[in-house]
Amino acid sequence: MPKRILEDIRAFLKGFGSSFKDQSTEYIEFEERELENVFALVLMGSFVGIPSPPTTLVVRLMPHMVKEMHVMQQRAVNMDDIFGEIAGMFDID
Amino acid sequence: MREFLLPKEGFRTVFVIGKGGVGKTTTSAALSVALAKRGYKTLIVSLDPAHNLGDVFMTKLTDEPKKLAENLYASELDMEKLIKGYLKHLEDNLKHMYRYLTVINLEKYFEVLSFSPGIEEYATLEAIRNILLKGDEWDVIIFDTPPTGLTLRVLALPRISLIWADKLIEIRRKILERRRMIAKVHGDQKFVLEGQEFTLPKDEEEDPVMKELRKYRKEVEFVEDVLTDPGRTSVIAVMNPEMLPLYETRRAHESLRKFKVPFNMIVINKVISVEREIPEIKVKLEAQERVLREIMAEFKDVEIVKVPMFPEEPRGLERLEKLGGMVVEG
Repeated sequence: MPKRILEDIRAFLKGFGSSFKDQSTEYIEFEERELENVFALVLMGSFVGIPSPPTTLVVRLMPHMVKEMHVMQQRAVNMDDIFGEIAGMFDID
Repeated sequence: MREFLLPKEGFRTVFVIGKGGVGKTTTSAALSVALAKRGYKTLIVSLDPAHNLGDVFMTKLTDEPKKLAENLYASELDMEKLIKGYLKHLEDNLKHMYRYLTVINLEKYFEVLSFSPGIEEYATLEAIRNILLKGDEWDVIIFDTPPTGLTLRVLALPRISLIWADKLIEIRRKILERRRMIAKVHGDQKFVLEGQEFTLPKDEEEDPVMKELRKYRKEVEFVEDVLTDPGRTSVIAVMNPEMLPLYETRRAHESLRKFKVPFNMIVINKVISVEREIPEIKVKLEAQERVLREIMAEFKDVEIVKVPMFPEEPRGLERLEKLGGMVVEG
């Protein structure tokens, strides 16, 4: 019985700590995603009508850009609710 | 001998630029013959898709340097072949990296891509880079270029590419910085896509994007370093004593200064001089006089050579050497 209580307390503390950890990096993660989105957008600028870097450079970088392209796609999907995401991050209901 | 035509640090690169039809090919051919005669191992390369370097030397040229005389080698780059090669390289790269794309008919896409804007400039720059990489085989490399517009864009390309690479490196660095911060709290970041798990790179040395960016930057920087070094590169503009070539030379001068490419000399080709007055060409001569006065007044920092109009086009090694002597010696 005491063993179970100890386990529960440990799990609670772990969850508590992990929640703090998540909160502490939430803004940095948001910033990282934004930067990845900008990076992919800059490379694929010609698709949205902005000047793009030399073709050679784009083709050379593209194969390594799986994550960034994914972020960019997600960003395009969530575009209509971008304020919702920012509001959520700042705990505005 | 003019200093800016001689090899100083390693090899010397000379770009002969100018409006279409002013005599770029003849001037560059003459220059190459004169330099070869003076003992410098010289390679002349025609980048002009209109290819008439072979006509001037009265021989058939290919993209491999052909020996024409002692110390003199010439080649004509086949731009169409180069563009095809350049696209093939991109295509292989793409096919290799995105295997799943092979189901799409990529060949068709690449056929259209060869007409895409800018491809010719990139292919030309790539060709110049490959020649410069093997530059140590020669004392002097002379590039007979396509008409000014394209050449200026090609010469500006390394600087523009460097600006792009620097900007992207800057953003990438910020991304990696954030990844490191997050990894300190949560450990390595994982990214799962379609059941496949990737660990996101967080250090500059392990990030393939950063590695590729740096590699590209280094490659472009090499060309940029050669092009902007007055000890290794010179630009000679060829023009006729008329207003339109003067405007174009003026624009070329301004834009090369902006990109820090040394502009050293203007060859005024086909200058007409008559011993007695000929009323039929009086107006033409007056216009020529006006252009010459403007050039002398405007281009004080560059050397100017006047080449008279010859009764016959200078073709063949002997005639070219005589003309080349005028350009080399002054």
